[in-house]
Amino acid sequence: MTLYHFGNCLALVYIPYHLTYKYSGLSEYGAFWKCIQAGGIYILTQLCKMLILATFFPTSDSSLNGQVDMFGEILKATVDVADVFGLYLVLSGIPGKGHAKLLTAGLGWAGAEAVLTRFLLLWIGARGAEFDWKYIQKSLESNINLVQHITTGSLVWLWTRHDLKKSLVPVVSTMLLLASYRSLIVDLFLANTDFGAWTSLAIKAGYTLGLALPTLKIYAGIAASIGIF
Amino acid sequence: MFYEADEISEIFKGVLPVYLLFILPIILVISPCGAAHEFPVYRMHQFELHGVARGCKSAAVNLEVRSISSWRTQRHCVISRIGNLTSLSLHKLAENTGALLIVLPKNLATASSKEREVLSDIEVHGLTTEIDVPIYFALWTPDIEKILGDIDTGSSPEKGSSAWNAMIRSFSSNGYQIVVNTNKPYPRSDAVITSIQGKLPGLGVEEKLPTIVIVTHYDANGVAPDLSYGADSNGSGVIALLEIIRIFSHLYSSKRSHAPVNLVFLLASGGKYNFQGSKKWLEDQLDVTDATLLQDVHFVLCLDSIGQDNLYMHVSKPPKEGSSLHEFQKIITATRKSGVDIVHKKINLADEILAWEHERYSIRRLPSATLSSLKNHKDPMRGTILDVSESVNPATLARNIEDIATTLARYIYNVSGSSQALSSHMTVDEEVVKTWLDFLCSHPRAAPLLTDKNNPLVKSLIDTMSRFLVDVKTSALVADKRDPDFVFYDSSQAVCHIYNVKPALFDLFLTVQITAYLAVVHQIILRMPLIYDMMVPSVKKVKSQ
Repeated sequence: MTLYHFGNCLALVYIPYHLTYKYSGLSEYGAFWKCIQAGGIYILTQLCKMLILATFFPTSDSSLNGQVDMFGEILKATVDVADVFGLYLVLSGIPGKGHAKLLTAGLGWAGAEAVLTRFLLLWIGARGAEFDWKYIQKSLESNINLVQHITTGSLVWLWTRHDLKKSLVPVVSTMLLLASYRSLIVDLFLANTDFGAWTSLAIKAGYTLGLALPTLKIYAGIAASIGIF
Repeated sequence: MFYEADEISEIFKGVLPVYLLFILPIILVISPCGAAHEFPVYRMHQFELHGVARGCKSAAVNLEVRSISSWRTQRHCVISRIGNLTSLSLHKLAENTGALLIVLPKNLATASSKEREVLSDIEVHGLTTEIDVPIYFALWTPDIEKILGDIDTGSSPEKGSSAWNAMIRSFSSNGYQIVVNTNKPYPRSDAVITSIQGKLPGLGVEEKLPTIVIVTHYDANGVAPDLSYGADSNGSGVIALLEIIRIFSHLYSSKRSHAPVNLVFLLASGGKYNFQGSKKWLEDQLDVTDATLLQDVHFVLCLDSIGQDNLYMHVSKPPKEGSSLHEFQKIITATRKSGVDIVHKKINLADEILAWEHERYSIRRLPSATLSSLKNHKDPMRGTILDVSESVNPATLARNIEDIATTLARYIYNVSGSSQALSSHMTVDEEVVKTWLDFLCSHPRAAPLLTDKNNPLVKSLIDTMSRFLVDVKTSALVADKRDPDFVFYDSSQAVCHIYNVKPALFDLFLTVQITAYLAVVHQIILRMPLIYDMMVPSVKKVKSQ
């Protein structure tokens, strides 16, 4: 039954990606190759991030005595801003029109992440004779990440628009910061409380949804005004 | 998602190489899968003595884990704390379950009286017969505590509960699978029992002098060989022997105190297996024509478990007035403040198993006695895993050794009077005793574990004896091929894996849940345009901009 369980987890991770690809109209544009390109840029970005982390942030034993080195953690999380540049590169480098452009970038990015971070984990973990809810939770988390990356992509796109209303610029900037520091904020929050794994998953989902809905609202507004449908 | 299979196959054809389809499943099959709980377990002792098989017969386990209250069939392995067992339930378990894993307290020295009672019951009764199911022992860890807690709550459905409850429970229950991968226990044909002998020749012509033999066995015994540290039985005897050797080698090295008595020391093994080491040594010494070592033996003194307050002198027949043993008994009673009681037990020739080591010598008509703190030869403390180094007080042991050494010295030099008359080297240092005790108890000392010729413990014992004695020899005893007196078995220790498993039904249930979830996601993605339209500001507003 372990292979069966592996199949369960795999379905949970990858079917939402496929559904998004299929029913959001990307398949009609033949955007598969573009998604792969976005994924390639994701890999490059991660490599750069790793290089920076390895060079400038030597493993500190700050968390040895239970104390979290706040400043170091914030600096480390700042490296995640590279993701925003990566997404910007994807958006500017990959041709596309309207909604499809954003979806391609987000889906390719999140898809590459899901393949690279989840597959090996499930492969080794979920196939063991031992059952652990962890793998189901990781699979669900990657679904949340899909929404998160599409949102971040949209925010980056909005931020680069010159015809964004002046009053919305600080809102978009703040949301962009919140999106790129998401893992730090959520992790810090969870470290100071003792929620179970399921609650923390719900908190992550809530955080992502809290960013995604306003973003969609702003995007819809600007898209309507410049005539993307 | 599978409606348009063309496209999926297109993806594979166009982008992913087709061979991945074949390679991935192969890698899947060979990829490793680890267990979360892994800890060492110690198998119950298995051995044969005089052709009678004793202890636990089998080793491999691959069964479902159940608690002591919820097991039903032979397909279950029961895990229980030793305190939760009783001798009655144990008997039932050993006959009807598939396997038994007994959790011992983390520190055996702090075991409660109930735990001690159950354990000694297993040790006394379990090791006299053959048991078919594998019985393992594990020391307490937090991991095991968690498993114990889980199997206690997730026990099988009670009779009154409804079918629905039973079903829910079968979905949600946390099952465990225990796997102990070992080979079938195999008799060790190369098992060697090594006894070490050495002597201090007396002043004069060696062959014409009387001899005193001091014997002790150095192996330990217990329900699991790998947990048998045997501090009192018989680490204390070994320490006493080594200290007596040290004292008398010092006395004999000076001309003034070199007595006309030969001292022979024997560190025998196999003491828990009907004193095989002594038996072999006696055969070697007596059954050859030019035997000189045991020609004029005053007495043979065996030391066995002398780490407690009392000392008893066990003899096979009461020593006659005027005999050397009687003399020795008189002196030791005078030396010890609390006195030494004589315990007289006739040798039961009908029983193949001898009670004390001196009986081996008494049978061969050598005057002999055993000194022990235990009054009864059936005392469970003579072979238990509870006999760890904390159970012996070094101060008490040092005092006992000093008394025995003083008695010997008085006997040899024929002095009577206060103990102060003896050399200052007669004192036994408590620190030295403690160091020896820690050393001897640092490794399990069951005879099956010491059968290797180059065993470091045996080597260091030989080294220590050669430092003080002359003519140090080892005699290796290998059991007879056709009719062995003793047979040891391997795989006394194994690694136990415990997997957290869910019933097969649970995976199906999970699939249903995942399908439902994916259906919801599908619907949301399909309705995305509607959600989007709701977000789009009304046309008026757009125009006004």
